[in-house]
Amino acid sequence: MDQETVRTICYLARLEIDQDKSEKIQQDLETIIELIGSLQTIDTSNIEPLYSPLEMTALTHEDLENSDNKKDKFLENAALSNKDYFLVPRVVE
Amino acid sequence: MSVQFKSITELRAMLDNKLISAPELTQESFQLAKKYKELNCFVTMNEELGTKNANTVDLNDKNASTLAGIPLAQKDLFCTEGLRTTCSSKILANFIPPYTATAVKKLEDAGSITIGKTNMDEFAMGSSNETSYFGNVHNPWKKGYVPGGSSGGSAAAVSAGIVPAATGTDTGGSIRQPAAHCGITGLKPTYGRISRWGMIAFASSLDQAGPLARTAEDCAILLNAMSGHDSKDTTSLSSNVPDFLEDINQPLDGLKIGIIKEFDLSDLDSEVQARFEDSKKIYENLGAHFVEVSLPNISASVPTYYSIAPAECSSNLSRFDGVRFGYRAEDIDDLNDLYIKSRSEGFGDEVKRRILIGTYALSTGYYDAYYKKAQQVRRLIKNDFDNIFQSVDILMTPTSPNTAFKFDSKGMQNPVELYLEDLFTISSNLAGLPAISIPHGQVNSLPVGLQLIGNFLREDQLLNASHIFQQNSDFHLAQPSLEGF
Repeated sequence: MDQETVRTICYLARLEIDQDKSEKIQQDLETIIELIGSLQTIDTSNIEPLYSPLEMTALTHEDLENSDNKKDKFLENAALSNKDYFLVPRVVE
Repeated sequence: MSVQFKSITELRAMLDNKLISAPELTQESFQLAKKYKELNCFVTMNEELGTKNANTVDLNDKNASTLAGIPLAQKDLFCTEGLRTTCSSKILANFIPPYTATAVKKLEDAGSITIGKTNMDEFAMGSSNETSYFGNVHNPWKKGYVPGGSSGGSAAAVSAGIVPAATGTDTGGSIRQPAAHCGITGLKPTYGRISRWGMIAFASSLDQAGPLARTAEDCAILLNAMSGHDSKDTTSLSSNVPDFLEDINQPLDGLKIGIIKEFDLSDLDSEVQARFEDSKKIYENLGAHFVEVSLPNISASVPTYYSIAPAECSSNLSRFDGVRFGYRAEDIDDLNDLYIKSRSEGFGDEVKRRILIGTYALSTGYYDAYYKKAQQVRRLIKNDFDNIFQSVDILMTPTSPNTAFKFDSKGMQNPVELYLEDLFTISSNLAGLPAISIPHGQVNSLPVGLQLIGNFLREDQLLNASHIFQQNSDFHLAQPSLEGF
């Protein structure tokens, strides 16, 4: 893993790493990737991935309207909002 | 009469016999929390509402539950309406949830009193509680030593006798390992047994809430209250919930316990090995017998976990963008800059490391090699457990390879060193199985935990085997001296 790859991943994750920590992060990532790379030696041909321990039992429910909408309370938690919307920097000129 | 170090069962008897009232008991808990403030096990106290609830709980109601009037602490990743919930992160340092997590609501509906929110590793990412934005938690058994993690504050609060029990969550060992390091009992239930609604997600296919308490019997009491299907969490199970106290006293004659051959215990400290052998003898004397079993893929659990958990974490934590809740950076140029600065200033190093690993494992060109591969190995691990549980009832391992260690002594140079702490606990999360840690002695004056892993939905067997062990030993009664606090 080179510094360029680290920069790309950081951008994809919308994270910035301090300059003085970037070498350590690169080393840590390499060590962890090496750890998970050890799985390559295991034969998994014809094995379906197991994405959840409950693959057979996950339930669905009807998508019904309810009265749980607490708009005012949700907006209270935003650092910037008006009475109806979350506010962000202008994205359309 | 002191309430410190009392179990729920003992406190229930004190309340029922009018030796103490619910408001007095809650105030005692608040006083103990203040007295041992230096442990740093609480991030936020719930004095106003906790006092009010203790004053209004009706213990004379004939339907009052075992938990009525019992003070509890909640890990600070369960959302609590009107009470700050931080996940021990700067990014949520001022977050006041608009709703309460189902697991906590069920405990409160049963009459228990939430006295505060406990410190933890940031977003539950850690095995030592050293990644918290609010500082380290001390192990009540030894100042300057870690309590384990990620539910370190909950484990320390129970161990110090401030509360008889607390909630935790377990993604790779986060209930069991701190329970072991602090000398208490901690249960990770089957995946789906307890609703995850209102729990701040780390790795959704691995996270599970559960109790930390002084005894297995108290864990059963909490599990009774917390379990059950919740329409708000489609992964919560619809299976009937048994009364976990009903069969807790069954004799253990004929219980078949498997010892996993792939875990080479000869690498462990000889005293940790000795405690394990002692506990085997206790179970043998109780009528259980041991068989060696093989789970050929279990050694791949740590790398499998450290591919899947960061991948799910990178996806879950993308919601923290500075817009709708949480920390928002100032002096920003545009929307992208708002995301990047809010996240970079709000998350700590370990959280960033895991998000980056997950982002890498899920990115184009690497998805099949890392993420999909790990999910395939995960199925092999689960298949191994399915096979083994046809011939044994439960499996037994140490909970952790070590006792609690000094602050700043592990994982500083190489994060993988700390990841290996989870060697014995991780596989049950990958397979969704229940597992419990019970204290079984000490090494160098620090507690050691014994782990029992059960088959899917068989918490009853784990609680039974743990309770009978505790009825025939006194390890769970040992108390820390709390010297220096």
